Amino acid sequence: MAMETDVLIIGAGPAGLAAAFELASRGLEVTLVDESAAAGGQLVQQTQLIRSLPAPFQPMRGFALAEALTKRLAALPVRYLLGHRMIGLYRDGSVGVADEANVFPLKARKIVVATGAAENAVPFPKWTLPGIITIGAAQTLINRDFVRPGKHAVIVGSSDFAVDVALQLADVGVNIKAVVERQSALLARDAEKVAQLKQSGIPTYVNAAVKEARGKGEVAEIDIQLSERVITEHVDLVCLDGGRSPVLEACYQLGCSFGYQQELGGWLPQYNKRLQTDREDVFLAGNAAGISTQGVVLATGMIAGVSVCEALRVIGGEEAERLRSALWKELEVLETTLFPEVWQARLRHMDNFGNPLLKEQFIS
Amino acid sequence: MLDQATIICRCEEISYEEVAEVIRYGARTFDDVKRLTRCGMGPCQAKICMSLVAQVIHAETGRALPEIPLPRMRMPLSPIKLETLATNRTSFSAVKSVLDEVEPEEGMR
Repeated sequence: MAMETDVLIIGAGPAGLAAAFELASRGLEVTLVDESAAAGGQLVQQTQLIRSLPAPFQPMRGFALAEALTKRLAALPVRYLLGHRMIGLYRDGSVGVADEANVFPLKARKIVVATGAAENAVPFPKWTLPGIITIGAAQTLINRDFVRPGKHAVIVGSSDFAVDVALQLADVGVNIKAVVERQSALLARDAEKVAQLKQSGIPTYVNAAVKEARGKGEVAEIDIQLSERVITEHVDLVCLDGGRSPVLEACYQLGCSFGYQQELGGWLPQYNKRLQTDREDVFLAGNAAGISTQGVVLATGMIAGVSVCEALRVIGGEEAERLRSALWKELEVLETTLFPEVWQARLRHMDNFGNPLLKEQFIS
Repeated sequence: MLDQATIICRCEEISYEEVAEVIRYGARTFDDVKRLTRCGMGPCQAKICMSLVAQVIHAETGRALPEIPLPRMRMPLSPIKLETLATNRTSFSAVKSVLDEVEPEEGMR
């Protein structure tokens, strides 16, 4: 007595929601599974303005984009399984889905994996002390839970995301004592954001790394190794930005093959121009297909959606090709604007479709 | 910056030193390290330490990151109460990836 659906989308973040619209607006029945209590993924706590988005989206703040993406699904054949997770796979190809009370099989004609990204750790002596959290956790605490995680903070890392959150923490009254970057320049590419950080008076240190943290039961001090000397900051909060990597477990279980591209976050499933993996019923969308910006995440969701529509014969091959090539052009513009090396890595990754580094992991 | 005492696996409190030691014994993959140290066997199921262990293997052996394979990602993909599994009517043992490694008992379908 399995639950059945045309298309199962694992992850109801921006990529999953964008794919769902392409599918459901053409009459396919979609089921979205997400572990959170609400759809929208990480957008829900993003208060920063997101400027470069694919048509039809105007620049807007993250939480507003989450609302826009869910609102347009309201009248369409979309079923949400919120508070649910994919925990495995049955022998007949059904996906095992669980909430707190039950495990049940879900049979789908096609699957879109939109599991997103996970933040990477930044290890140093005593990095496991309470008060040391990821930059994403800090953003969730202030913008979703309205909790200030500390009074005096150091930010380790300087990606666009880290700079966004540093400014948001400062806005809610956290005293940011330093932004520490291991490389010789700040990593953030958005010039406007970097200018904002410079204007805020927050000290930034490049060629710098955390030497160690100290504290009794929670973080109290942090030593930062600069090129010439070590400085000590008294803090109750340290936010780590170690970059992000694709979440792979679902694709691993589904038997997809994998490749490796540093610029896309390391290991990631192989896919072709259709965003289709080597398991022909399994498609990819969003950061699970390589770490990028929100606009690119939406575009990949749309491409995957169009490809699944084509595979289920809801649209013809010619129309699918036309839509896809327009979306790829848009994606290229969105990605190359700030991250040309990521776009190049994506092209290399797709070229490697037939030569994965890891495949057939279940044939022992 | 890492030193010998830096924790690599938070869940099981495995240090850099302990991971480096089993690499000296010949461990070359995450699963090798896991079997020798319990690294990655805690509640997070290697979600945090997977890339850190790869970095240690790279630092200690010079192996490039793409040559350090992913760990085997088994069911269940995220923690689940035994109660949830046990009270369900659907035979959970009919799962492909488990069958892949153990012989199914009679009547399990």
